Amino acid sequence: MDFLFVLIVGLLVTSGAYLMMSGHLVRFLYGLALFSNAANLAIFVSGGLSYGAPALIAEGEKAPLEPVANALPQALVLTAIVIGFGLTVFALALAKRAFASEGTALMDDMRSAEPRAED
Amino acid sequence: MRFLPALLAFMATAWFWSFLPAISAGETRSWAWAWLPDQGVELALRIDGLSLLFALLITGIGTLIFLYTAAYFRNDDRLPRLLTLLMLFGISMLGLVLADDAISLFVFWEGTTVTSFLLVGFDHNRRYARASALQALIITGLGGLALLAGLIILGQFAGTYRLSEMVLMGDAIRASEIYIAATIFVLLGCFTKSAQFPFHFWLPGAMAAPTPVSAYLHSATMVKAGVYLLMRMSPALGGTEIWMWSLTICGAITMIVGSVWAMKQDDLKLMLAHTTLMGLGALVMLLGSGTKEAAKAAVLFLLVHALYKAALFLSVGILDKQAGSRMVDDLGGLRGAMPLSFAIAALAALSMAGFPPFIGFIGKEVIYESALHSAASPLLVTGSALAANIMMVACAGLVAIKPYFGERRAQKNPGDPVFGLWFGPAVLAALGLWFGLFPAALGHDLLEPALGAVTGKAAEVKLYLWHGVNLPFLLSLLTFAAGIGLFLVIGAVRRALQAARVPGAEDGYDLGLAGIDRLSAWVTRSLQGGRMTVYLKLSFAVFAGVIWMAILMSNTELSRPDFRVPLFQFGVVVLILVSTVVVTFTPSRLIAICALGGVGSGIAMLFVMYGAIDVAMTQLLVEILVVVFFAIALLQLPRTPISLGFRPFDMALSVALGLGVIVTLWAVLGTELNLYLTEYFEKYSAPKALGRNIVNVILVDFRALDTLGEVSVVLIAAIAAVAVMRAGREARK
Amino acid sequence: MIAQDISVVLPELVLAIYAMAALMWGVFMGQDKQSDFILHLTAGLLILVGFWIGFSGEGTQTAFGESFVNDGFARFSKVMILWGSAVMLLLSREYLIRNHLMKFEFPVLVTLATLGMMMMVSAGDLMALYMGLELQSLSLYVVAAFRRDSLRSTEAGLKYFVLGALSSGLLLYGASLVYGYAGTTLFSGIASVVDAEGISLGLLFGLVFLCTGMAFKVSAAPFHMWTPDVYEGSPTPVTLFFATAPKVAAAGMFARVLFDGFGNAVADWQQILIFLSVLSMFLGSIAAIGQSNIKRLMAYSSIAHMGFALMGLAAGTEQGVQALLIYLAIYVTMNVGVFAFILNMEHDGRPVTDINALGMYSTSEPARALALAVLMFSLAGIPPLVGFFGKFYVLKAAVDAGLVWFAVAGVIASVIGAFYYLRIIYLMYFGTASDVLNGRMPLLHYTMLMASALIMVVGIVNLLGIEGLAAQAAATLVN
Repeated sequence: MDFLFVLIVGLLVTSGAYLMMSGHLVRFLYGLALFSNAANLAIFVSGGLSYGAPALIAEGEKAPLEPVANALPQALVLTAIVIGFGLTVFALALAKRAFASEGTALMDDMRSAEPRAED
Repeated sequence: MRFLPALLAFMATAWFWSFLPAISAGETRSWAWAWLPDQGVELALRIDGLSLLFALLITGIGTLIFLYTAAYFRNDDRLPRLLTLLMLFGISMLGLVLADDAISLFVFWEGTTVTSFLLVGFDHNRRYARASALQALIITGLGGLALLAGLIILGQFAGTYRLSEMVLMGDAIRASEIYIAATIFVLLGCFTKSAQFPFHFWLPGAMAAPTPVSAYLHSATMVKAGVYLLMRMSPALGGTEIWMWSLTICGAITMIVGSVWAMKQDDLKLMLAHTTLMGLGALVMLLGSGTKEAAKAAVLFLLVHALYKAALFLSVGILDKQAGSRMVDDLGGLRGAMPLSFAIAALAALSMAGFPPFIGFIGKEVIYESALHSAASPLLVTGSALAANIMMVACAGLVAIKPYFGERRAQKNPGDPVFGLWFGPAVLAALGLWFGLFPAALGHDLLEPALGAVTGKAAEVKLYLWHGVNLPFLLSLLTFAAGIGLFLVIGAVRRALQAARVPGAEDGYDLGLAGIDRLSAWVTRSLQGGRMTVYLKLSFAVFAGVIWMAILMSNTELSRPDFRVPLFQFGVVVLILVSTVVVTFTPSRLIAICALGGVGSGIAMLFVMYGAIDVAMTQLLVEILVVVFFAIALLQLPRTPISLGFRPFDMALSVALGLGVIVTLWAVLGTELNLYLTEYFEKYSAPKALGRNIVNVILVDFRALDTLGEVSVVLIAAIAAVAVMRAGREARK
Repeated sequence: MIAQDISVVLPELVLAIYAMAALMWGVFMGQDKQSDFILHLTAGLLILVGFWIGFSGEGTQTAFGESFVNDGFARFSKVMILWGSAVMLLLSREYLIRNHLMKFEFPVLVTLATLGMMMMVSAGDLMALYMGLELQSLSLYVVAAFRRDSLRSTEAGLKYFVLGALSSGLLLYGASLVYGYAGTTLFSGIASVVDAEGISLGLLFGLVFLCTGMAFKVSAAPFHMWTPDVYEGSPTPVTLFFATAPKVAAAGMFARVLFDGFGNAVADWQQILIFLSVLSMFLGSIAAIGQSNIKRLMAYSSIAHMGFALMGLAAGTEQGVQALLIYLAIYVTMNVGVFAFILNMEHDGRPVTDINALGMYSTSEPARALALAVLMFSLAGIPPLVGFFGKFYVLKAAVDAGLVWFAVAGVIASVIGAFYYLRIIYLMYFGTASDVLNGRMPLLHYTMLMASALIMVVGIVNLLGIEGLAAQAAATLVN
């Protein structure tokens, strides 16, 4: 199963990169969403997979009785998910604004900040 | 008020003069103040024979030149600015020759570069002056930084930045592996500053400065800085093949090129500027010879050159001022109207041509004598010295005879100048004669200690006007004869030279500048066109490159993948994979958003299966929100184009990137995970933080900082989104 | 445990609480009237916190299980960051008012960005670092796009975001690889793994990705591409901001990760750093030559300068870190002065960014021209001005670390780099008169310009004592 996880990450990265390079703002956003999913999964899988038990400590015990899922990567992934969420929302807003003021969703047409031709 | 600089310079001269007895007795004086103690850098000054000789030249000639400047620009409101710059320049130059700390020396060195840049460009209304100033700055600035590299390397090796201590370690330095690098860098610095071939072309341009400035820069200062440093470093770096040959060859070429080009100039000032190249080339060539005789000749010629060159520049300035031109062909027959000016020019020119009883004669004799015993190649050195000296005789004629004899020609009504203008050059020219007549004291008091510093051991300098009839004397006679002959046919020679167009190193400089401009344009155009897809493609390409380089450079071992998984899980995986592919290729926004949701929820399911319930819940919630936001936002964004042209290059790049990620991640999973921290949390969650959900405990307790950060990030994202949206609305209004 | 933790992060906490309070206040009190006041209040607070951090605290304290470190290095960087941000706020006032941008969000966003930067240089853990980075980046994305009436500003925000998000992703990927190998994201934990087992392949992968991600943030080539467009498109005060505090933070973060996490594997990251450094120095210097827009020029200049700063880091020694800190301090000071000037490059109230407008500026405004000339000479690293000492320190650190050819490359690059600074001086003193610039200069801006130039001259004496402070700071990071 580990390898399937890795495969998924790889595919997400491939698709994400392909979408981001399309030059269309909307597609770029899809790509970004895929990318942040890929990053989350990568952290999760790096922590080692253990099928099953959640990382809980039973009532009255001091430590988990049986082997439980590695808790640390979960905590890290949570952080990453939340931040990724913030980024995505902001990206959406920025994209909307860019479209509203530029009148295009093609990123290559957004070139008013480019150097002039003779440069 | 305008004579204040001259007065100050005179006082400085007197002050330095007061050291003469002690220094000529072989003593030195030094002062030091801490500067950057961590780096072992201090402001250290030291007076020995060599620095005293230079200091006297700088302040002494400086006095006369400041005086001259005050007269030359007496009706010009730019005078205060010019004098200030000249003073600053003089101070930098003094600092340069007095510094005993390599870094201090470098600081003063660049100080002269910057101030001379401002001086050369003083007449900024003239395009030529501006271009020349910039050229001088680029070449010497470039060399200056090379020098810095050389000095740091030397300091690092020697463990001290004191030049006086480095000089004592000559043998160790020459034997070390840093020797070549250090020497090359130091030579680059000296050659650019002292305008040695192939960096010689900036110097004639630098005469675009006002005449008194040129006189100062070309005689005692600026261009002599490189020579000074070569002399100073001789005991530390000199004496090897590389030193000997690079100095001898570059010096000889500079000397010949300077002399030939001097003859063809129409502008007397430009001609003198080219003869400066000859003088500098001769000095460098002599320093390369490596014998004590040659060093003695170099020290003597340094003084000789400074005296006649300053006097001649100033007398050309007088011509310019009084007769209205400094073009060879515009002037003639002025000796009657300007007898004093003629006398000055004649005295200085006689010294330059090396006629007895001037100091120039002794200088030439000593040069010939040392050239005949050069350690490099006596034939080459003597031959080029002879050729250059012959041409110097002709040039001396052009400067001192041509304007004053023959048919009277002038642009305005000429006459002898005021005291301030003739006094300086007169003193300098007279000194040339005085030292020629009484050379012994000069040799013993001034040159001997200087020579000691150059050779690194005590030396004796005995100078005589009359050496007897020997080979050098015969060479001198040959020089006079050939030089006078050359002067008689100078018109024809000049026409021939002016007709010939020889590509010089200057073309290389121009090409280099144009090349850098083109390179710059190319870099900005190709990398920085403002196209975001280009930026993205470049970035991805670099990432892919980095990943694969890391993989290929290390021999990554990969374990065999295991595909046996429960059917349910397999279903989830397929869901994710299919959804991803759909997002990538569908032209429909609705389908894309749904598929995005599919990817997210599939991943959430994976989290559940592997015991990450909290993560899964968060992921699901976030995914729902993201889909909702996407849906809202995309309503206002345009549709994606229906035709989705397949981009093979992008796909190849993406696949390369994806594969790289798979390989690296798989390699990571092949290793044993360090579970120390996980165990720590499992062990201490309940006792220390009183929590049973380990993930929660980690988040809110052990890693509370992250959580605080998270909250801030979400908050700021919200503010940001609101701000941006509001801005968008306002923009549309 | 918590109480003690909180005492360590108190300055950060104060800023966070202040940011939220200011936000509330702005929202409820009717924003525009309060904005000016909030701006000054924020600047004042940042300066005060700077003093507080600068004068308090000896030694090293950690909090939250070592994920937050407060040591001399962090304090030195934080003071630079805080004061840089504060000065930028004060300088931005006129611009904001003139362009109707005086919104209360601006100081709040700057505060949050500053908070993020403080977390970056204090991070003891990869996730904490990531968090600080995102906090900073998000705020910067917004302020880059702050000019609503300007397409360029929106684009600047978008470009910065697009490439910034990419680099964050990369950093995160690197962090996950490192975590996968070391089993911890704590720098101290990573360091002990490296100590015990040497640097394994996976750690190396992780390290490479971390470095590329961070290279983006310091705008080192080949990850610099956002810089010119963003510098040019952003409102000028924001450009000033980009050029100062975030650069310090990014470089500080870089040093943190490399020394705290991988301090025993210098040889493994040195190559990467040298590559980044050399490429940045050359690319920045060469590309700057062709620029006529002064903001773009400063962008390329910052790329080249970061190349030099990284040279100190690449040396991998305590001396190198000291050089880095000194370089940054000098660089920030120079940029404040230069941008105080650029902010007032105006013709009849409209901003001018073409450098040809500076033609013969020395005749119309001799004092300002002289100050700018001093700053340009200093930026070019020409002695005896202080800028030279920045270069001297990094070059020496490189030579002392045995990287002679690296230093030589630096020297060559700085020669090329000197070219475009000198061109500005050349224009001001020898150019063709243009008389375009006729903006008035507010007293504060004038003071900053003059003070900055004066420091470049007076600092020659002993670098205003910064040498020793930087040495102490460096000592806490390395070892």
